[in-house]
Amino acid sequence: MEASLHIENAEDLYQNAPCGYLSIHPDGSIIEVNKTLLSWLNFKREELVDNKYFQEILGKGGEIYFETHLKPMLQIEGEISEINLELKGKGRIQIPVLINAKKVHQNTGDQPIYRFSVLDMSQRKLYENELIKERKNAEEAMTKLSQINVELERFTHRTSHDLQAPLKTISGIISLIEAKNLIQPNSKIEELFSLITKNATRMRMMIDDLLEYSKVDGESITFESVSLQDVCNEAIELLHESVQKYNVSFCVAELPEVKGVKIQLLNLFLNLFSNAIKYSSDNVDPIISVSGKKSGNVFKIMVKDNGMGFDQKYSDKIFDFMERLHTQDKIAGTGIGLSTCKLIVENHGGKIWAESTLGKGSTFYFTLPKVPD
Amino acid sequence: MFAHGYGCDQNMWRFITPAFEKDFDIILFDHIGSGKSDISAYDFSKYNSLKGYAEDVITICEDLNLKNVIFVGHSVSSMIGVLSAVKRADLFSRLIMICPSPRYIKDENYEGFSKQDIDGMLEMLENNYLGWSSSITPVIAGNDQAASDELKNSFCRMNPKIAKHFAKVTFLGDHREDLAKVSTPTLIIQCDPDGIAPVQVGKYVHSQMQNSQFSHFNVPGHSPHLTAPGQTTKAISSYLNL
Repeated sequence: MEASLHIENAEDLYQNAPCGYLSIHPDGSIIEVNKTLLSWLNFKREELVDNKYFQEILGKGGEIYFETHLKPMLQIEGEISEINLELKGKGRIQIPVLINAKKVHQNTGDQPIYRFSVLDMSQRKLYENELIKERKNAEEAMTKLSQINVELERFTHRTSHDLQAPLKTISGIISLIEAKNLIQPNSKIEELFSLITKNATRMRMMIDDLLEYSKVDGESITFESVSLQDVCNEAIELLHESVQKYNVSFCVAELPEVKGVKIQLLNLFLNLFSNAIKYSSDNVDPIISVSGKKSGNVFKIMVKDNGMGFDQKYSDKIFDFMERLHTQDKIAGTGIGLSTCKLIVENHGGKIWAESTLGKGSTFYFTLPKVPD
Repeated sequence: MFAHGYGCDQNMWRFITPAFEKDFDIILFDHIGSGKSDISAYDFSKYNSLKGYAEDVITICEDLNLKNVIFVGHSVSSMIGVLSAVKRADLFSRLIMICPSPRYIKDENYEGFSKQDIDGMLEMLENNYLGWSSSITPVIAGNDQAASDELKNSFCRMNPKIAKHFAKVTFLGDHREDLAKVSTPTLIIQCDPDGIAPVQVGKYVHSQMQNSQFSHFNVPGHSPHLTAPGQTTKAISSYLNL
């Protein structure tokens, strides 16, 4: 037993320990560093000792953190533990490390020195990064969820109070009048009755749109690869009747594959196209062009028309729930279509916006995340 | 009144305040979101600018009925002092700025960090809050007693969301134009070298403030009240003619 005590010596324990050791003055100048840490960073002893400040191997971000947080803690508490920093070695060497440090006074009255033990945590770091990423995803999902809940609450409120009640009343009156055979042909009553029926129909349209909106559910959807090209063509086909009626021409460029929910994306195109047709210019046949391009990590899709356009100052308002720029008399609508579009795009992690000049057509843009290669 | 800087709390003044207890009433506080403050009071929109912190300083002065306040601010709190003195010059008799910087990001003729440096620092913060329960969300958490207790037991620690937010507000802000609006006599204490608020920045602050004195310390770092408390105390005392 006694012999084995002499196999280890203090100097070797320090220099070749399985962790890095480092001592610095409070200003950060390096007093001593062991061989293990030198070899990790690929520095020679003389390149660090009396030659560099600890801050210099931390990088700027680390330096701010060290100066504003770690050093005050060391100075007041006397120690810090389990701090994750990144040490910059020679060339491109960057090692994520876990640091413990202690303030020690060699002699009373002297400036203290800070001793650091340094553990390489490259492997553990990969795992941590995964955790951080997942936590971020979870947090983002939570935020989105609460936003959707807010929208949903508003939706429920408005449907139940604003819409169901008048529709019930109107329907009741219609039934009553019909049951009692009160309508005389070509009478004033018939005129009023048609007005009531028209309103009932309008209300029905609203409720239909609302149902469509409520179907855009962010929670229970699964994303799949969707060809926007196919979806776009399908939307045009579904609008066959009005396309013929208003002599609409489409100009569709090559569109990418995206990750998404097909039915929602179809709904998105249907809404944008219907709007372009509905708000077309008088005496000019509608032309709708669709194109898409890569923009960083997303695809940017553009739907451009030659319609009546709108004042750019309303470019946010048009996406608001049940907001409209036109009166019911001029152009019938509910103000729900574009809100639905916004909800769909946001469900897909994208953004939607519009640019327009009154009388000169509008362009709607939306982004969708790219399919990872 | 002593106001701590980013990343710490009022404990950082413990080497300084004893020297002034005889001649002054000492007011110490933690900024909302730091130290032992009530984190449920952290309002992200209010503290989206240093003005929110300056409002708090003014409120403290008003509620405690303070007059002739000598405001000692470290780092970002120097600028909180500037904003307070611009708004309510009547409350303050002196400003003492330790390692001030009105802007941390560099631009054409101004030395400072790059946006990437600040991002690196934010990442560093994030990396060191892994163990922190992410469920402690200020404002929403409200009066979560367990959450508050955990905070009370830690020194210089911050809720990660607040730490990041305060860091952004601190390091991405620009208050250069506010300096000239201060009429309160001011002492600027500048460390050399200081990696956070370099000497040129301190001199710039001096040049912009009409009524300021510049005290140059051959002390490296960013917290002379911690590393050179004697010299810091002496500089403040002689400025105040004690």
